[in-house]
Amino acid sequence: MEFDKKSLLKLGKLARISISDDKLNNLSKDLNSILEFVDQLKEIKTDQVDPTSNSLNQKLEVRDDKVDTKNSAEDILENAPEKEMDFFVVPKVIE
Amino acid sequence: MKDSYTLKSLAVLLENNKISSKELTSEYLKNIENGKELNCYNTISQEKALIDAEKSDERRKSQNLRSKYDGIPIGIKDLFCTKGVTTTASSKILSNFVPNYESTVTQNCDDAGLISLGKLNCDEFAMGSTNKTSFFGSVKNPWKSVNSDNELVPGGSSGGSAAAVSGDLCVASLGTDTGGSIRQPASFTGTVGLKPSYGRVSRWGIVAFASSLDQAGPITKTVEDAAILLDIISGHDEKDSTSSVNPKENYYENLNSDIKGMKIGIPKEFRSDKLPASTQKSWDECANLLKNNGAEIVDISLPHTMSALPAYYIIAPAEASSNLARYDGVRYGLRVKGNDLIDMYEKTRSEGFGDEVKRRILIGTYVLSSGYYDAYYIKAQKIRSLIKSDYVEAFKKVDAILTPSTPSTAFEIANEPSDPVQNYLNDIFTVPVNLAGLPGISIPFANDENNLPIGLQLITNSFEEQKLLNVARNIEETINYSETPTKWWLK
Repeated sequence: MEFDKKSLLKLGKLARISISDDKLNNLSKDLNSILEFVDQLKEIKTDQVDPTSNSLNQKLEVRDDKVDTKNSAEDILENAPEKEMDFFVVPKVIE
Repeated sequence: MKDSYTLKSLAVLLENNKISSKELTSEYLKNIENGKELNCYNTISQEKALIDAEKSDERRKSQNLRSKYDGIPIGIKDLFCTKGVTTTASSKILSNFVPNYESTVTQNCDDAGLISLGKLNCDEFAMGSTNKTSFFGSVKNPWKSVNSDNELVPGGSSGGSAAAVSGDLCVASLGTDTGGSIRQPASFTGTVGLKPSYGRVSRWGIVAFASSLDQAGPITKTVEDAAILLDIISGHDEKDSTSSVNPKENYYENLNSDIKGMKIGIPKEFRSDKLPASTQKSWDECANLLKNNGAEIVDISLPHTMSALPAYYIIAPAEASSNLARYDGVRYGLRVKGNDLIDMYEKTRSEGFGDEVKRRILIGTYVLSSGYYDAYYIKAQKIRSLIKSDYVEAFKKVDAILTPSTPSTAFEIANEPSDPVQNYLNDIFTVPVNLAGLPGISIPFANDENNLPIGLQLITNSFEEQKLLNVARNIEETINYSETPTKWWLK
């Protein structure tokens, strides 16, 4: 079993998702099932193969470095759950 | 009457003043109201649609049309950001999100004068094959088996988009396809679903799932309509650096059904004893049909086909875990109060995401984490190279590949397997196409013994959408599939 309670809680910390005790069992079962499924790839030899991160054979375009007035602070803050002046408000970080 | 509506036929009706955009829009809004039980729409833009329709009618009067299709209402998957209209990705975490910008694809539709009826239900963040992962509940397939009254899944993730077209709650719709999310629901609902080549359509303003795989595309009643809508939505966009600089073609204008001398490949790895006999029969019949119409049928091999699904379930969750890191309760969407910043993140994400999305974020986090990155993520990317080269080799021999779209027809909502891996198998025939970045289309071919639609998939080389549409059109023209679901929801 790759995903036991301890490793699952650690993974939850990394992904910033809290996992309640009553969900642990099912989640562990599901993730182990997925892991077992993807583990079949281990049998395929890939030593001489380069990885593909994107199927598009195209150089990434570089845009001109010019100022525009899109994305104003007002627009960006419009959907903020909590804001003050031009800032997002979050719970206190420094004591 | 309504069953015969297509983008093509409506353009003619509007041109000849047989119907106004406002009348047409009202008619569809009425269908949507009467079809509420199907749960296709997350948001219905009643007021805005009617105002936009009136504006279109005025443009028509003053001969100032934006395109031939000005005034035709369509439906939009709730994954495209639409200015001033709630965009949820069918997730609790975005349930209050009203974008102040418009996705390029929906802007292109607006520029052509198309009218949005509203936002269509889908699997949460497009993760699912049954539409059951939506925070707003399952979409119901307009089709029912002749042997049972039970409700069927419409497929997913663009389940609302496919069901709405099939049930006449819009004439055409926009979907997105990361591993089959346009083609699989199209197959389950007897509609045409086109996933363009990676880069053909701009991803700007679409809620991101797996950025190296996501593509937007049309779900329509006919291949002609798919060509029309692809013309409208495709093209280079400077806002999406992965959108192709290849010039777009006039897909509809150049659409023809001539396939003489073309070679159509039948990949042996897609054959399976588990395939329903009726699907196998349709596949064989379609190959024969193409042969009779002048194409040559060639047996081909795509040796790494069976590795595509496991590779996908490493790559897609990895990219998703990174893309979905942005939902943290700070800048938009849901925020759940916590004791401190980290607690706020964890509670927001725990309450805001559904189970399938959490599973994928956790798997993605795992395969990208230190110590597992090479063994899983890089390994999967190498498999992706092998899959891609399978297709490169195949397209040296053939013009197009014909396969079933799905391993089964639509199944009962209540019968969805509880094991996530069993659900992932729905996409076994569609996923390789995304990994290789190719265009693929699902078209309805026949109905099975339960009177449920069987879809077949065509695949061509990158940016050969024209060829893809032409072969699909040839099949469509020959079989003239015209089955429609019984409208059981109209009581």
